[in-house]
Amino acid sequence: METTETIENKNISVQRTGAEERKLQFKDELCTACGLCEKICPVSAIEVEPTGAMATTEQESSKVDINEEKCVLCGMCACICPYNALDMEIEGESIKTMEAYPKLIKSAEINDETCIYCKACETACPRDAIVIARELPERSKLVTGEIEIDKETCIDCGICEEMCPADAITMEHKQPTSDSPTVSSDINVDKDKCVYCLVCKKACPVDAITAVCRQCSYGEYDIKPEDAEIEGSSFIDDELCVDCGWCQEICPVDAATVEKAFEGKITYDQETCQGCETCVLACPCNVLSFPQSAESGDKPEKLHIDEKYCIYCGACEKACPVNAINVERTGIKTTPIKSKSWEKAFESVKN
Amino acid sequence: MGESVINTHGVIMPKHIISGLKFLAAVELRKKSYTQREIAEKLGMDRSTVSHYLNGRNLSWNSIEIAEVIVNLCPRDFSTLTYSLLKDREKTRTIVKICSNKKFECDVKNSCIGCGVCADTCFMNAIVLENLKAQIDSDWCCGCMMCWEICPTNSIEIKEVEDDGNNGNY
Repeated sequence: METTETIENKNISVQRTGAEERKLQFKDELCTACGLCEKICPVSAIEVEPTGAMATTEQESSKVDINEEKCVLCGMCACICPYNALDMEIEGESIKTMEAYPKLIKSAEINDETCIYCKACETACPRDAIVIARELPERSKLVTGEIEIDKETCIDCGICEEMCPADAITMEHKQPTSDSPTVSSDINVDKDKCVYCLVCKKACPVDAITAVCRQCSYGEYDIKPEDAEIEGSSFIDDELCVDCGWCQEICPVDAATVEKAFEGKITYDQETCQGCETCVLACPCNVLSFPQSAESGDKPEKLHIDEKYCIYCGACEKACPVNAINVERTGIKTTPIKSKSWEKAFESVKN
Repeated sequence: MGESVINTHGVIMPKHIISGLKFLAAVELRKKSYTQREIAEKLGMDRSTVSHYLNGRNLSWNSIEIAEVIVNLCPRDFSTLTYSLLKDREKTRTIVKICSNKKFECDVKNSCIGCGVCADTCFMNAIVLENLKAQIDSDWCCGCMMCWEICPTNSIEIKEVEDDGNNGNY
């Protein structure tokens, strides 16, 4: 039996060979230095680096330090990490797939039946975990009519071309010659660009433009509902998603559902707070913000905390250099825990 | 005849000691009415060698004497020394189990975190994890206390108990 540690690009791997092979893996890019692993480790093998500077500048070393001489590869840290930064494999299989190991009950889902593909969640997601792919209908099918230019009447003045807000009209300008004494050889309307606003018709000095309304003149050209349909699909990257609730809160049609593992409360002391914004940078869920202060250099006003987006990981509390923030965890939801010591350890992260 | 060792030079080599240990195990099994075929199978020997051993042939008494000393060492020295000779966990646990003359009772406290370090350490493969808790099969415990020593949460209790003569199944 031997335990070895390797560090590559700030990612840590602790391995134990023996009757069964265990491998603990830490991915630095997913870590938020919230400190839950350090808190739960039963052998004090994990140390999370102080977050202060980490939040603002790229660090050269890993956010956590695992002491391979102390680590016994029990897997508790991997089971509590809300950011998927830690995982343990036994004989090549992740403990996340094993029933014996408790898992945090948390999830985020987007119902494609309800989703209208507005992309608000994609924009709001603080971890860039959501991708909404959408296919828009052909614009020409949604326009209520089209224009026709009577080329016999047209005097090639180019006014319609200049005024068209959609750049849908193109004139072939040219110098007149004795055999073709006109200033334009042709004029065309791009039906994919024309939005039937009729500015051209109104502006035309010689009434060369006719409006052909699909709705009033030709009933059978009415816009078909199926032509206006927006198709799409949603995707949440489970590794990046932290189940913060932004997608659920911002969705205008309630298509996103988020379940959180921790319940709790954040409090902060405005007197102590220096407005350094380290907490804002440390929070992976965009829970915290300072309203824009009137003049740069001024101490920002009261910290704005919106717990709707909070998962109570404690990253802000750990990052605050003056201990102005307190994160209290009052509840934790996990799959059934059969081991007494594991139950106790999971309870111990509450405070 | 790879198993038989005739010591003609008065030098005891590790393989001679192994033969001594196998002889002691074979005698022990014979006492428990195992047939020569069963003994050969258990100890990974051929039948003729078992027969020679049991009839006191092809084996130096010196090898047996040393093997007897090893068997009577403290349980940890007995098992680690046997492992260093055999270099095979499975063969070690067979010999140790058969020749051990002590009995132990093991208990794992609820503070066990299921890290499996004890299971990795146990020569006797007496420990398995169940629902993130170590379970020790007292029948197979050799009393080496290595699991007790390595356990990060001090969750293992091992007591030597009076041998009731029933050594369980091999």
